[in-house]
Amino acid sequence: MLLEVRDLHVEFRTREGVAKAVNGVSYAVDAGETLAVLGESGSGKSVTAQAVMGILDMPPGRITGGEILFRGQDVLRLKEEERRGLRGTGMAMIFQDALSALNPVLCVGDQLGEMFVVHRGMSKKDARARAVELMDRVRIPAAAQRVRDYPHQFSGGMRQRIMIAMALALEPALIIADEPTTALDVTVQAQVMELLAELRREYRMGLILITHDLGVVADVADRIAVMYAGRIVESAPVYDIYKAPAHPYTRCLLDSIPRLDLKGRELYAIKGLPPSLTHIPPGCAFHPRCPMARDVCRTDVPPVHPVSEERGSACHFWRECLDDRDH
Amino acid sequence: MTATTEPVLEVGGLVKHYPLTRGIVFRKQIGAVKAVDGVDFTLCRGETLGIVGESGCGKSTVAKMLCNLERPTAGSIRFKGEDITRLSGRALKAVRRNIQMVFQDPYTSLNPRMTVGDIIGEPYEIHPEAAPKGDRRRRVRELLDVVGLNPEHINRYPHQFSGGQRQRIGIARGLALRPEVIVADEPVSALDVSVQAQVINLMDRLQSEFDLSYLFIAHDLSIVRHISDRVGVMYLGRIVETGTDTEIYDHPTHPYTQALLSAVPVPDPEAREDRERIILSGDVPSPTDIPSGCRFRTRCWKAQERCTLEVPALAVPAVFRQAPGPAAHDSACHFAETRPVTGPAPGPGVPPEEEGQT
Amino acid sequence: MPEQDGAIAATGMGGAMDLAASEATTLERASGGPGGATDTGRPRSLWSDAWRDLRRNPVFLVSALVILFLVLISLWPSAIAPGSPLSCDLAKAQDGPGPGAPFGYDGQGCNVYTRTVYGARTSVTVGVCATLGVALLGSVLGALAGFFGGVWDSVLSRGTDIFFAIPVVLGGLVLLSVVTSNTVWPVIGFMVLLGWPQISRIARGSVITVQQNDYVQAARALGASHSRILLRHIAPNAVAPVIVVATIALGTYIALEATLSYLGVGLKPPSVSWGIDISAASPYVRNAPHALLWPAGALAVTVLAFIMLGDAVRDALDPKLR
Repeated sequence: MLLEVRDLHVEFRTREGVAKAVNGVSYAVDAGETLAVLGESGSGKSVTAQAVMGILDMPPGRITGGEILFRGQDVLRLKEEERRGLRGTGMAMIFQDALSALNPVLCVGDQLGEMFVVHRGMSKKDARARAVELMDRVRIPAAAQRVRDYPHQFSGGMRQRIMIAMALALEPALIIADEPTTALDVTVQAQVMELLAELRREYRMGLILITHDLGVVADVADRIAVMYAGRIVESAPVYDIYKAPAHPYTRCLLDSIPRLDLKGRELYAIKGLPPSLTHIPPGCAFHPRCPMARDVCRTDVPPVHPVSEERGSACHFWRECLDDRDH
Repeated sequence: MTATTEPVLEVGGLVKHYPLTRGIVFRKQIGAVKAVDGVDFTLCRGETLGIVGESGCGKSTVAKMLCNLERPTAGSIRFKGEDITRLSGRALKAVRRNIQMVFQDPYTSLNPRMTVGDIIGEPYEIHPEAAPKGDRRRRVRELLDVVGLNPEHINRYPHQFSGGQRQRIGIARGLALRPEVIVADEPVSALDVSVQAQVINLMDRLQSEFDLSYLFIAHDLSIVRHISDRVGVMYLGRIVETGTDTEIYDHPTHPYTQALLSAVPVPDPEAREDRERIILSGDVPSPTDIPSGCRFRTRCWKAQERCTLEVPALAVPAVFRQAPGPAAHDSACHFAETRPVTGPAPGPGVPPEEEGQT
Repeated sequence: MPEQDGAIAATGMGGAMDLAASEATTLERASGGPGGATDTGRPRSLWSDAWRDLRRNPVFLVSALVILFLVLISLWPSAIAPGSPLSCDLAKAQDGPGPGAPFGYDGQGCNVYTRTVYGARTSVTVGVCATLGVALLGSVLGALAGFFGGVWDSVLSRGTDIFFAIPVVLGGLVLLSVVTSNTVWPVIGFMVLLGWPQISRIARGSVITVQQNDYVQAARALGASHSRILLRHIAPNAVAPVIVVATIALGTYIALEATLSYLGVGLKPPSVSWGIDISAASPYVRNAPHALLWPAGALAVTVLAFIMLGDAVRDALDPKLR
């Protein structure tokens, strides 16, 4: 198993108290596999990824429990230098906003080349040549001329490709993409996702795709983990989840997608708001908004029930949820 | 959402060019950013017209011109027959009451130093004739209630509300003067998925209750489809195709619309294999340097010589004029044709059982 | 785009930090906003939030106390310092501490303690008036330039460049040496003349930033007049950086007055000022160090107090720390 996150707990100290951003998250990704982590803002999906990469802001954040096994080794036990060595070579991250993730005062050739100079000890000239190669690989037209350009001179989609190139430069085994296309137009999004898929197949990388877009997930994911209030509420292979979700939250999310045959009627909307992370409701965190909530949901935190060998659901009534509908 | 055919807003030849100048003392114009380059459409009473397009297509600029936040370089905007671009001073102020805007970003569209009551009540301060002084507070509470917020929170500040609630406050502000037209510029793009549905439902309800006409600008094609009666697709400052939502989404004839629709991810993994993706080549040209003839030709797989020479008109294409049908709608392409819609349409069949769940 | 405060947190620090910061701010908002049942209560304006933070900050409390003390002794110096700062007895020149004169006597036989206390009045007056003048003039000019842009902006920018180019102390030496009146007003006037560009730049930048917010556009779309937009929407939101800089600048104006008086072009005897005392006491500092140390110490403490206050205010008003 390439990456295994086990029972991770992350807290943040805020003005209003301790925010429990991640409450016992476990998931795994294998080489060549794409795991989509689905959730809205405040679900803890980004924080988990940052903890895996080791780029969490340590005050105010704190990892209070769990293990992160990368190739069998717990990276939380590693020293900072060793962890740094892993970044770029073992695992790399792609962010949502390429403009702020790229250094505005360095040309892209320098930024790409830096990876090779620092990690592979290449000369500047060789590094520059590799940078041009990489830019070609991510299909940036006229790469040899544009290698000296600055990030702001590229369009949004191009910048995202440059960020992908930077992530891939050292051929890491795992890529974490945090909302890589959310800020992009839909046609550019299609281009970028196709590029990611192609490169992933070529290099046989594991991909963790963090997003809130159910459409993008349906296109590329092998497995999905749905997060809510810092926990994984359902995990399953992608086909199963869309056909027959086993958790009310997943069902609600799928139902709120505008559907052709329901045009003219009200969209299904989940009532209420996502919970404040300093005051997570007792029992099942979703119970105030759940259409199926019963008394036990208010008091008992549901464990992850194995729905099948490959599926898990953190709902007391997952069976009911599963049987209730068929898509 | 009963649309009529009585036009309430008619836009003709709308143009907005931002000049690029050089020099500090003696400014010389060396070019222009052609943000909007000739836009025509009509909005009827009770109707929702959706405008879709990607970033840089000029849809936000159109919105600003309608609300008089930008002065058009050319063209006319007729509100009930009267050209509002020619107005100024008091007459302009009076007309503003009828066209209001809802903004995209719930975090910057409300003044953080004003209470919610003051924010919603400000329209009455600017237009005192709209409500007598003693009545204003009550009206503000009413508006809070109408948008689904607790009227007791009238003295709270925006940062004490969530994003979806702030957007509702923005909508309440837009409704205060009982406008006839609301221009919504990406009203739900900055919200979480579960909250988007709530706000869209609210806007739907308000439309029938207050007899509103919406100009709904967005880039999320599925939401636009859900709420719009008619849709216009914009590209690089012009509208390239317009029609009813069925015509546009099921029978698009302009290559850009087809590419746009094919790029929208479908939330159905079984459709993965069947999807025929049109991946456009290249980038959108810069609005300072618009291609001659058809501006989409640099990325179009059908481009031919005629496209370089002749600007296609936004009209029903010749091939469809004889045969009326869903493909016979305005489309600015010399070689317009339908493409088979591939992949299963999302979710037929079982209607949801969650009645009264919201 | 999903609900994220990335826009607010984006300072170009790099994607990772931004996300962590924006997620943290999202968490802040998630925890601060009211849900249906988890309602956290009463209306809280941003000013009251800032005040609450200030009250808890020990730096603010200490500096505020010191400043309060200074203001009180400026208003009623006789309450703690008997006698007059001008009644000097040459017989006691350079004497050490004695009854009624805990700080000793200076070269003219004046009571150092009394002079130091009365000197506070001068310093506080000059500091406060100069800051008010600078803040008002600078803010108005900067705000107008930022709001209207175009010609206004060009004229103001060139103007600030010119005034910035004038070195303060040198300019003071030149301009104030021709002034004959011995009140504080020429000094204050000079400081305002040379100090407004700093504030106007900040005000201009702040106004330009605030203007980009949608709520300003919303007000314009409603038909609001320029004055309403400036006073109701822009000013309250743009004023924070100006307050911060002005509070810190207060300290520097006090020090500047002392410098100018020391150089002989600020206030002159019989005015009472720490700068004058420091200047007068310098020649014989070896013999009677107390005559120099006490006024200098008082000056340092005062300037420090104002700068600390400015720091605390800046932290309380900083939106990123919210």
